[in-house]
Amino acid sequence: MESKNKGKDFCIFALPGMFCFFAVVIVPFLYGVYLTFTDWNGVAQAKNFIGFKNFASVIQDGQFWSSLLLTFKYVIVVVILVNVLAFAIAYLLTRGIKGQNFFRAGFFTPNLIGGIVLGYIWQFVFSRVFVNIGESTGWSLFEISWLSEPNKAFAALVLVSVWQLSGYMILIYVAGFMGLSEDVMEAASIDGAAGWAKLKNIIMPLMMSSITICLFLTLSRAFMVYDVNLSLTSGGPYGTTEMAAMHVYEKAFTSRQFGVGQAEALILFIVVACISGLQVYLTKKQEVEA
Amino acid sequence: MGKKVMKRTIAAALVMMLAVTSLTGCRFGFASDPDDPNEVEVKAPIDTSTDTFQYDSELKGTSITLMNSKAEIQIALEEMAVAFEEKSGVHVEVMPVTDGDSPYTKVVSLYNSGNPPTLSILDTTDVIALAEEKAEDLSSEEWIKEAEGYLTEVNGKVYGFPLCIEGRGLIYNKAVIEEALGETFDPAAVKTQNDLVALLDRLVAAGIEKPVSMAKEDWSLGAHQLQYIYETYDGTSAGAQEIIEQIKSGELKVKDHKRMSEFLSTFDILKKYNVAKGDPLGADYDEMAIDLADGKTAFWFNGNWAWPNLKEAGAKNEDAYGFLPYFMNNDENDFANQMIQGSPSKQVMLDGQFADDKQKAAAKEFLNWIVYSEIGQQMLVKTCNVIPPFKNNPYEPEDPLSKDIYEHVQNGTAFNASAIVPNDHWAVLGAAMQKYLADRSDKEELMQSIEGYWAQQE
Repeated sequence: MESKNKGKDFCIFALPGMFCFFAVVIVPFLYGVYLTFTDWNGVAQAKNFIGFKNFASVIQDGQFWSSLLLTFKYVIVVVILVNVLAFAIAYLLTRGIKGQNFFRAGFFTPNLIGGIVLGYIWQFVFSRVFVNIGESTGWSLFEISWLSEPNKAFAALVLVSVWQLSGYMILIYVAGFMGLSEDVMEAASIDGAAGWAKLKNIIMPLMMSSITICLFLTLSRAFMVYDVNLSLTSGGPYGTTEMAAMHVYEKAFTSRQFGVGQAEALILFIVVACISGLQVYLTKKQEVEA
Repeated sequence: MGKKVMKRTIAAALVMMLAVTSLTGCRFGFASDPDDPNEVEVKAPIDTSTDTFQYDSELKGTSITLMNSKAEIQIALEEMAVAFEEKSGVHVEVMPVTDGDSPYTKVVSLYNSGNPPTLSILDTTDVIALAEEKAEDLSSEEWIKEAEGYLTEVNGKVYGFPLCIEGRGLIYNKAVIEEALGETFDPAAVKTQNDLVALLDRLVAAGIEKPVSMAKEDWSLGAHQLQYIYETYDGTSAGAQEIIEQIKSGELKVKDHKRMSEFLSTFDILKKYNVAKGDPLGADYDEMAIDLADGKTAFWFNGNWAWPNLKEAGAKNEDAYGFLPYFMNNDENDFANQMIQGSPSKQVMLDGQFADDKQKAAAKEFLNWIVYSEIGQQMLVKTCNVIPPFKNNPYEPEDPLSKDIYEHVQNGTAFNASAIVPNDHWAVLGAAMQKYLADRSDKEELMQSIEGYWAQQE
């Protein structure tokens, strides 16, 4: 009797979701893995099995590895900046300052603008507004467009990503701060904890669950960055800011090497999955109950 | 208290920064507003009174789709489809490829989902890539004989309908040159590289400090400029193919290729007089159109597809713009110094895999209608504003750039060569060209990149 009910429950509640999940995530994923072992070019009827040849090509594709390295650099900078900034601003915005709701909304707004549009807006800022400022003030920092010099273009990319991602993270951190128990805070104050000591020993451990979520979100979003990359620098100047996701797309669709592109995508997936998994495991261990 | 004020100030300052950046975006963002309400779009009138085209009445009610990858003629194509449906009863659904989507990617994904467009407008390389696998053989169509010289064959068969001719070179603004020099400007008098340099120097002396605009876009540098090294080999597509094979096999070193060093010498001249010399990779495409129309510059390396941008920047149909060749050397008799490159750029491919016979017939009728019906002929030239590759089409394009290319084609001073290169040629070598343009690499490195690129190709 009971087992029959369970089967029915499963059909009603889990099956539709499972079906969708399989149809749009698992099946395409496995199909993608299969494609990495073929020489399919996206058009041909026949898919010939070629073993690990695509992976051998990936190893030879120096551009892929340098774009992956660049992505690591980008992820490290973005994750640190976003989280430090978001944490600090969220801290300020939960201290009861006047108009804090307005500020919260203000900081969140950039997150509502899609990556492509955001990229175009900032492209204009970097290549026109900044250059105009440079012309009228003579500051050498703004003399030429940031987007035409490799290092500055990278900085521009980081700046825009931080600007966009922080708002969302602020929201999560604000929720975390609001959830802190007044009793614990008061007890800490009575025990003489203040300032840095309080932040480090009381607030941080209690905020660990928010930090876990925020780190995970920023990590995965930074690794998979594509839209801002495309619309802000489109890999330029001369291919120096091409991130891994963009390189995969270019490989598959512009160079029309589907198998190699797919193999690179798989490698990128494994890297991101491992790092995010490790991060969640490590930060989870730090979480404490109030 | 003091702390609180401090915090508030910081937060306020940050919000202000956000607000200011988003505001500046709006205020300066749309210097050339395409939707100016005061502007009245003048449409070229289409004379529909005579129509001797034979429509097949059995095709009435058939519905076909046309994928358009030439965004600037989307509305014009829709109008054509309506005109065609009125006469033939065949419904043509024109679907655009959205910005940011590559036409090839789009058509491939439509094929893979089993729902491809009946007709698709694609670049020549895309048609070649898809031809034998997906496309219908069009070799026996009637319009073949009208488009002689503009057809692309794959193993002896034609799979693409050439929609238009596009040409490129150094666009000049005649009025600007004449005003600066105080004399009439005859483009035919500029015959060699030295003539060009002399002209540029005179313009500089007359107060136009940097008379040339050069796009930093990789498609412009990597495809339109660099491909001259293949296409000026002997001015034919076959010659371009030959030289590519030689470079690919390593038989010819890039540095020994005569056209390579000649091309670079011209490129260096343009680089020297580039209006964005201080920051060549910061050059803005829209601004170049404005600069040329306003007379800040006198030349812009581009093609006749740049007209919508120039028009938006204030240029008028009756203004005098035209093309100078991409001078290669100082030999007056070299064809490259006398002729403008002009070749078919967009091809229409008919699906041979999913479309049924009736749809194929309707699609073929539509193509024939463009070539042979009085209405189709007019609309191709006047509504779409393209240069027709069909000999029987009596109409002339109206904007000065297309008109100039058209006249060069008619007078035999255009060479029809298009190099068939791998699809990532423009992106990979475009980046190498950008590096050279920004003076971050030298000729040696550029030539090595080109050689390395070809060595990787199978």
